[in-house]
Amino acid sequence: MLLQLRNIFKWVQQGGQRIFLLKDINLEVQEGEFISIMGPSGSGKSTLLNVIGMLDTFDEGEYDFLSESVHTLKEKYRSNLYKEYIGFVFQSYHLLDDLTVEENLEMPLLYKKIKSSERKALVADMLDRFNIVGKKDLFPTQLSGGQQQLVGVARALIGKPKLILADEPTGNLNSQQSEEIMQLFKKLNEEEGVTIIQVTHSEKNAEYGSRIINLLDGRKI
Amino acid sequence: MFRTYLKVAWRNLKVNRLFSVINILGLSIGLAVTLTLFIYIRHEQSFDTMYPNIDNIQRVLLHTDGDNGQEIWATVPPSLGPTMMTDVANVKYAARTLKNDFGGTASLRVLQQNFTENNLFWVDAELLHIFDIPFIKGQAKGALDRPNTAVLSETTAKKYFGTTDPIGKTFTVDGRYELEVTGVYKDFAKNSTLDCNIMASGITTGFFKKRSWNNASFETYCLLKPNTDLASTELQLQEMLNKNMEKENQWYTFSLQAMKDVHLFSSGYDNAYASRIGDIKEVRNLIYLALLILLIACINYMNLTTARSQKRAKEVGISKTLGSSSSSLIIRFYMETGLVTLISLVIGVLLTSAAMPIFNAIMGQDLSTDLLLNFEFLISLLAIWLVVTLISGLYPALYLSRFKPVIVLKSSVVQSKGNVFIRKGLVVFQFAASVVLIVGVLMISEQMDFIRNQKLGFDAENVVAISINGIKGTDKKDALVSELKGLGNVSSVSLTQGFPGMEVSGRSLSRNEDDKESLNIQTNVTDASVIDVLQLKLLAGRSLPIFKQEKDTLIEVVLNKKAVDYLGYTPDEAIGKTIFISVPNTIVGVVDDFNFASLHEPIGAYAFHNNTGERKSFALVRYKIAASSTTINELETIFKNVAPNTAFEYSFLDNNLEKLYARERRAAKVGFVFSMLAIFIACLGLFGLAAFVGEQRKKEIGIRKVLGASIMGITQMLSKDFVKLVFIAMLIAFPVAYWLMNKWLSNFAFHVDMSYSVFIIAGISALVIALFTISFQSVKAALSNPVKSLRTD
Repeated sequence: MLLQLRNIFKWVQQGGQRIFLLKDINLEVQEGEFISIMGPSGSGKSTLLNVIGMLDTFDEGEYDFLSESVHTLKEKYRSNLYKEYIGFVFQSYHLLDDLTVEENLEMPLLYKKIKSSERKALVADMLDRFNIVGKKDLFPTQLSGGQQQLVGVARALIGKPKLILADEPTGNLNSQQSEEIMQLFKKLNEEEGVTIIQVTHSEKNAEYGSRIINLLDGRKI
Repeated sequence: MFRTYLKVAWRNLKVNRLFSVINILGLSIGLAVTLTLFIYIRHEQSFDTMYPNIDNIQRVLLHTDGDNGQEIWATVPPSLGPTMMTDVANVKYAARTLKNDFGGTASLRVLQQNFTENNLFWVDAELLHIFDIPFIKGQAKGALDRPNTAVLSETTAKKYFGTTDPIGKTFTVDGRYELEVTGVYKDFAKNSTLDCNIMASGITTGFFKKRSWNNASFETYCLLKPNTDLASTELQLQEMLNKNMEKENQWYTFSLQAMKDVHLFSSGYDNAYASRIGDIKEVRNLIYLALLILLIACINYMNLTTARSQKRAKEVGISKTLGSSSSSLIIRFYMETGLVTLISLVIGVLLTSAAMPIFNAIMGQDLSTDLLLNFEFLISLLAIWLVVTLISGLYPALYLSRFKPVIVLKSSVVQSKGNVFIRKGLVVFQFAASVVLIVGVLMISEQMDFIRNQKLGFDAENVVAISINGIKGTDKKDALVSELKGLGNVSSVSLTQGFPGMEVSGRSLSRNEDDKESLNIQTNVTDASVIDVLQLKLLAGRSLPIFKQEKDTLIEVVLNKKAVDYLGYTPDEAIGKTIFISVPNTIVGVVDDFNFASLHEPIGAYAFHNNTGERKSFALVRYKIAASSTTINELETIFKNVAPNTAFEYSFLDNNLEKLYARERRAAKVGFVFSMLAIFIACLGLFGLAAFVGEQRKKEIGIRKVLGASIMGITQMLSKDFVKLVFIAMLIAFPVAYWLMNKWLSNFAFHVDMSYSVFIIAGISALVIALFTISFQSVKAALSNPVKSLRTD
């Protein structure tokens, strides 16, 4: 088992009242799964993804990741954990505008303190795999949205994560670009066994996954 | 419309509390500094303007060749005043002034009591007319026409005579002159160059009666007829001189200095008696400093406002799509600036009145904040407000109002490279200025340390100088010396005309009477013990003889090495030679060079002699162990025994030497305070900017954190950019500071070398201060939760 959430609650205090963002979420994810989280706006999809990605905290409940209890870990260990095992893909790509494609790809490796020669090799490998060698010296703004997201996925993959978390990865893309990205996810999942959890609004994209989780007002339905 | 603008501006201030506080704090400090200096400068400029004749009053200056090039003296020979009144047609009145004992103190005996008076001047009666001095008792006309008359200032009259009417009463000066009080005048204003407590009729003394075209010791003022041509008057002065002195003997020329320039433009002149001498250079430097600080505060405003422009961009975009024009936006942003500067100005005025006592203490001034309520001042306040608003608001208003709605509404990021460059440039400027100030402060304090520890060639410690002007007769003086020597703690006593650190008699030294060449030499009449008292190093020969017969015309002299070098002798060769200092002198000893003047000047020639024609004014007493109040009491008891009718006045030699550097010490203090303020304001700006950068790079920080960056790493990343700026600032600041401080140090003939350490310390402190300021915000930014910054809405 890759991760397990047990009775997760998350709330904010507003005017003396608790507003629940997540309510009693229980979830088990096995390695190699491809899960789609669906639900209307404000149902807590992104919050759940952030909790899984350890970017956000929760107020109650337990979370085990690779048999480590995340809820008892200190910030520093948590960040080491997600640095090691999780890759993120965002709707608006979140590439660093000041860095080239190549440098963007290299960045997670820098934070993992990987040696320069090895970094070079890994980046070259990734550029090759995603067919973007010719674009390595371009800046993100010089790329189309689909290409940017391709770089985003490549950056998420470069640290060889066990889990990829994608928050509406195709939200800003046209249908053809969406298709390409989803195909890529499918291939990664099937051929390389990478676990993927994505948030999506699109039924069609959800179909790519092996399991669908529906949320409404912070609750699993 | 305006009300809406004002309301929005006020809300903006309230919402952005941090930035508002930084802006207002910085600007109010900057304005307080400016206002304080404004008051000071107004005071300096107002000097002597209360005299109705100010435009026609001139002071006569004397130009002569000194050892170090042209010298200008504020004192002239005694014949000049009376002669110019009769010979120069344009001169209505001329009056000589001579401070008692050529700049010393006077010992008074009034109504059976002894006093020491620091400000007794011997003057010509015309002085009262030139300056139109208002009298409270008696009248100016005829007050000083007779010998042995004097007029007192109101305060002085009260001090010496209490409630009794002083008119017609008499008092004694230095046990020598009996003076009758003929009038009491209103105290001189705080901003008057003349500040005599007592004006005594000059013709009482021999100095005023003796006509001479030498002995340039008289500060002389004249009142010209209205609309007089100065150049022709100066020519007439020269003609007058030609009539009275042969061309080849003329060792000086005259010029006129307008009374209104006397206060600020006389700092380089020698021998003036006035103690209230300002310095235009100091005034200018202070103005530069104040403007610098104000500019730094304005820059903070510009930087912080444009930095936040991203937040405002959307607002500008919306306003423009709703039909607002660029110019109305400019007005709007200016209103916002105006509001901030107005609040700062009010706080600044309050700060000024609070800080005035501190400023007075540092500058040795006695300024009041009454001026703040003055109409003229309120007008200038308005002007200052407008200028500061205009400068601070210029860049933000123009920059913000130019945003194009299509662009700002579409993307969340508006960041032109030029804008960033300007902002960085401004930060570099602020820090460069701060670094220059730090280097300056360090360098000045190093030089002051150097002065304190410099070997002067004599020992000023444990020496007390007692004024003996009031004691008449050699036997009494000798009695004093022998009684003082009897004290257990006293090692030696010497009677002298003066001591190192004060001017004695300036003369010229030549090899023989016919020698055309000469060297300026300070001559000091004294006795044999002076070498012991001052701990001078005797290179050859012996000290002055212990006994000297009353009628003995042989004058012995002990020269310093500089004088002997000029004569071309080795110390040993010099012994027994006869040389010429106005009269023939026989060299009996040679001492090593010592710093008898301030360290500003190179060591010149100096002579100790025993020509009885001059008066000894001080008893120098050397102690074995440091003098305490008991030893001073012992001295006083002895002094009172020998001279019951004379006030006991003493000073420590090392304290007197310290006074030579009062100006530098003041500069050090002012520099220190101003530098601290400048750095503080610059740091405020940096603090705000760091906050802004943290805000601006929120998204980037979020991404980096998600990709695994540590808090430490992010903090470093954010600080690095600022550190780079500080380094650039240092690169700019160091040469500037080097140049400025070299210039300052060249005022001293003896000074420290510019050391690397000063620059290193200044650099490190700037860096540490900057890092400390930035890190607070950087850490805060690094700690923020990436989820918030990466949310896509």
